[in-house]
Amino acid sequence: MSDVRVDLDPGNAARDLVSLVLTLIELVRQLLERQAVRRLDQADLTPEQEERLGTALMQLDAAMDDLCDHHQLRRADLNLHLGPLGPLLAEHPW
Amino acid sequence: MTATDVGHPRTGTSGGGAMATCVFAVLRTGGRQAPALTPGHAGGGAVGLLPLPGGDLQAVVQDVPAADFTQEALRRRLGDPLELERCARAHHAVITAAAAGGAVVPLPLATLFTASGRASAALADRRDRILDVLDRVEGRAEWAVKVHVAQHAPAPPAADGKDPAAAPGRPGAGAAYLARVRGRERDRQARHEALLRVAGRVHEAAAAHAVAAVRRTPHGTAITGKDRPQVLNAAFLVDDSRATDLVAAVRALGGAHAGLDVHVEVSGPWVPYSFTSLGEEP
Repeated sequence: MSDVRVDLDPGNAARDLVSLVLTLIELVRQLLERQAVRRLDQADLTPEQEERLGTALMQLDAAMDDLCDHHQLRRADLNLHLGPLGPLLAEHPW
Repeated sequence: MTATDVGHPRTGTSGGGAMATCVFAVLRTGGRQAPALTPGHAGGGAVGLLPLPGGDLQAVVQDVPAADFTQEALRRRLGDPLELERCARAHHAVITAAAAGGAVVPLPLATLFTASGRASAALADRRDRILDVLDRVEGRAEWAVKVHVAQHAPAPPAADGKDPAAAPGRPGAGAAYLARVRGRERDRQARHEALLRVAGRVHEAAAAHAVAAVRRTPHGTAITGKDRPQVLNAAFLVDDSRATDLVAAVRALGGAHAGLDVHVEVSGPWVPYSFTSLGEEP
């Protein structure tokens, strides 16, 4: 893994930072979706709440797409490798 | 995880080509054929045998330049993949050659002592443990079993939430999105459980023929390839007489299971690296 080096080129540093921040946002977004599914499974949401929660998540998902487009990153590029713990985000969000 | 704390060459003696003693393995004396000798680490002396106190054990050792094996030099060399590979291959070759004559206890890569006297004293301290381990691995070998699963078509296209009918603002669009997320999440979980089941079945099939087993963290897709997640990475200590049974049992489990394309890899016999720890690790 020593081919992964810290690149101190200012342009790249900014890009890496953006990618790191987007990765963390994506992590939170995925956790929110899973939490929403849990609430749905517990059946403690009214139809109106379901609709609002779903709409919010859908908008969040679209916002992620826009952010990624804006910074010329793909969702698949967003991840952190945590060594023996594996990747931060599931690599196969089937 | 490579260099041990058993001993390190004294720093400060770097001038004048000081030598350190590198220990590769410990084995019993007598009986079997004398172990074949391989070149060992580059820049070192000849690989030889060091009799240990008690007379029934001997170590496979090599004098190596101390300057190449200081903590700092090791960190630098073992951080370089090519150099690491060279070191690991040299280490493995010496141990494999020594193991041709019978059971050995391999020591971790770059196990160093400042002098051969200190090596034999340190190994003498671990004598009981070494004898136990030799008894345990006599007539047995390590077999590695790895299971990969090939990915099929990813989630259905509608699952990414981009079908035009689901534009935000339409009545029901939010609930429909949530339902899709739930479907995706259920598929993901079902798949994950199927993978764990397959891994568990292969592990059980192999363990039935083994005297001991260890499971390691499966390699990430950086090593195995994006579409080939590894779901089992295990090693088994197997009686030589049961090895063919283990290989047959494990291979029989390859193929299709519950919609998964399962690839089983068995390799061996290996020197039982995974079952010969002398207890330095927790």
